[in-house]
Amino acid sequence: MVKKTFLKGSIFVIITLIIIFVLNSLFIIKTNHRAKLAQGLYTNTGDSFDVVLLGSSHMDALINPNTLWNKYGITSFDYATGGQPIDVTYYLLKEVLKTHKNPIVVVDLYYLGSPDKFGNEGYVRSVLDNLKFSPNKLDAIINCTPQKQWANYFFPIFKYHYRWKELTENDFNFDTSKNYYKKGFNVSHDLYGEEDTSNPPTTETADIPPKTQEYMKKIIALSKKEGFKLIFTNTPHDYNKISKANSWVPEPAKTVNEIAKISKDNKIPFINYCNMMDELGFDFKTDMANAGHLNVFGSNKITLNFGGFLKENYELVDHRKDSQYNEWKSDYIKYVKAAAAIDLAKKKDQSK
Amino acid sequence: MQFTSLNFLMFFTIISAIYFILPHKFQWLWLLICSYYFYMIVNSKYAIVMITSTIITYLSGLLIENANKIINEKKSNQLKKLWVFVSFSGELGILFMFKYYSFFNKSLVRTLNIFSIPLHLPFFDYLLPLGISFYTLQALSYIVDVYRKDVVAERNLGKVALFVSFFPQVVAGPIEKSKNMLHQFDKKHVFNYDRVKNGLLLILWGVILKIVIADRLAIVVNTVYNKPNNYKGFAIIIATVFFTFQIYCDFMSISNIARGAAKVLGFKVTNNFKQPFLSKSIKEFWSRWHVSLTSWFKDYLYFPLGGNRLGRLRTYSNIMIVFLVSGLWHGATFNFIIWGALHGFYQIIAYSLKPFKEKVIKTFKIKTEVFSFKLVQMLTTFMLVNFAFIFFKAESLLSAITIIKNSFYFNPWTITNGSIFKLGLEPKDFLIASIGIILVIIVDIMQRKKNLSVQLSKQNIIFRWATYLAAVVVILVLGMYGPEYSMQQFIYSQF
Repeated sequence: MVKKTFLKGSIFVIITLIIIFVLNSLFIIKTNHRAKLAQGLYTNTGDSFDVVLLGSSHMDALINPNTLWNKYGITSFDYATGGQPIDVTYYLLKEVLKTHKNPIVVVDLYYLGSPDKFGNEGYVRSVLDNLKFSPNKLDAIINCTPQKQWANYFFPIFKYHYRWKELTENDFNFDTSKNYYKKGFNVSHDLYGEEDTSNPPTTETADIPPKTQEYMKKIIALSKKEGFKLIFTNTPHDYNKISKANSWVPEPAKTVNEIAKISKDNKIPFINYCNMMDELGFDFKTDMANAGHLNVFGSNKITLNFGGFLKENYELVDHRKDSQYNEWKSDYIKYVKAAAAIDLAKKKDQSK
Repeated sequence: MQFTSLNFLMFFTIISAIYFILPHKFQWLWLLICSYYFYMIVNSKYAIVMITSTIITYLSGLLIENANKIINEKKSNQLKKLWVFVSFSGELGILFMFKYYSFFNKSLVRTLNIFSIPLHLPFFDYLLPLGISFYTLQALSYIVDVYRKDVVAERNLGKVALFVSFFPQVVAGPIEKSKNMLHQFDKKHVFNYDRVKNGLLLILWGVILKIVIADRLAIVVNTVYNKPNNYKGFAIIIATVFFTFQIYCDFMSISNIARGAAKVLGFKVTNNFKQPFLSKSIKEFWSRWHVSLTSWFKDYLYFPLGGNRLGRLRTYSNIMIVFLVSGLWHGATFNFIIWGALHGFYQIIAYSLKPFKEKVIKTFKIKTEVFSFKLVQMLTTFMLVNFAFIFFKAESLLSAITIIKNSFYFNPWTITNGSIFKLGLEPKDFLIASIGIILVIIVDIMQRKKNLSVQLSKQNIIFRWATYLAAVVVILVLGMYGPEYSMQQFIYSQF
């Protein structure tokens, strides 16, 4: 009797969990983030990336994998998502490392400036909802979200079931591979049109919030443990125009100096593009889409510089002549056409 | 820890697993520990009130039994009555202080003010301890049962404490009499697959009733009843009918979950609802609605008052007393008293008009066994119940009067022009709510003829499992739970 009950009960629980699994993927909101994380983590793992790019929306538009490919023959993928807190980045990196062994890991550290214990739920969900169930995901949920919300992260259907009224065909047949040619890169073609109002550079330092500092150190420790090479970046942005919606460190420039110090102590390259704008001929008015994010033109300048840095400092093979990488060539052409179509549409808009 | 929460699911799974592993002699102790844990999660301080009530119950049981042993019958009876009086005073005194003192205080001061007599009574306004109205009635049933020698006084304080605090029932019943429940704590409860499965099915149905149907209906009800001045005609009628089904689903849900949880553990608890909306009279309605309360009042109030054995007038007054007390038991407001009074009044009218009704039926040769006649009876009963529920739901007497007044407004276009979808539920949710009501009616009609649980168990495994899994999917997808919805408390857990 007990054996029979246990068996029946177990089968019922397993079927229920399978149903929950199916419902989860049906009800989770289908965003570009979902598509690109699926591409980079699960569906396109046949591609081995030389470089993986992580961080928040700053990184989303910082380094263009297609330009890196076209100019240097380097393969890369951008895993950045809007508002991605650094603790979430740490677990996302661990997920990336499951399928990509020893890539060069580039992390933008903008979100080290957030003093919050937990990131904004929507931003955290952009990543956690799109990770497959695994011990790493459990760790991420436990460490990056409030305890009261754990069940809703473990089982996203608990959160998203209200969407039963608004499900569309896209929810049932979401094509995650459609934009793979972009390699996770997401940039605007808009021009900001305003000058940088940041104060003159300073050499002073200010504390990094305890939690983000802890995760910066965890990322460094992980690089030593796993043996991958790590590079930190700071994207050009206006320090004085950080969104008022976020709580943030009071003096970001000084916090960035502290980041540079810790990076130096750990022999991790830290490329602070905020301090290199003159050197790169970066025009804030025309190379930024807004006060915090680069546009396609600014991104090109940074990517060319970054590619040169990689070539100079790391032994990276140029894959452009390797027939195994033919798909990268065709993806590049797709990317160029799509970018040209955006520019054309913008021109038409302007001429109206 | 609400019955429909994930926390309760985990709590119940763990405690049940341990319960079945434990040797029989420790099972009751485990249930007592779990019951107090369950109770104290809400507010640990109020466990003191429950413990006090338990001690009064326990001691009075022993004292009454000792009095039973006195050979001198007169002396024995006097002493027994004294202990019943003392223990009733204690139990009802606690209930009065927490539930009614503030109401009587305000009412008295207000009344005396009319005659310019100033009165200042001490203030006592504490939050109502969870389940106090329910466990007090259980405790009183024990005292009377010992008095009547229906049960032997329990020598084990722990078992009396468990009878008062048993976690499936403590929040909102069903109210069990000690003669039905106490002996069950001594029985050995082993794991039985079919019993556990049936218990879990009751819980599953209970969860659907609450978070898929009742909480959806509640949105329309609250929208209208919170601002009755803003709504007229059909909006009010719809909200009132929705409330009748909301409270039915809500209360049946908590009763079913309690019954299901008790069943899993091996206990048989009263079924509180027996298709009440298929009743053909108010009298029949009360034999099908909140059965455990009706049965309690019948056993411990109506019969001791003389029931229907002392002539027509006494019967009427006894009915009225029972329903006034029932109204007051629900809450210390005039609205509950009026709600109770209305039900008493309905029944007195029905008794009084019975000869006239029979004469009309005979004169006009009305067929009473045909479906149409029964349907009219059911609809009439339903409408009367609906009307009384206006007082139950409305926030104040004035509010209830406004609702009644505003319902006399003929605006059927609100159904066709989409206005009804401005009552808080958008069309798709309104449709689900309406399907929910229809489902409950269909289930009730089917249950009246056959036991659905038995019928389901006769089906092939694929159909059975498909039904269970479909129920899980309905809860997961259509349930009003999670961070996007605000969880609605069970209505009866607030009494």
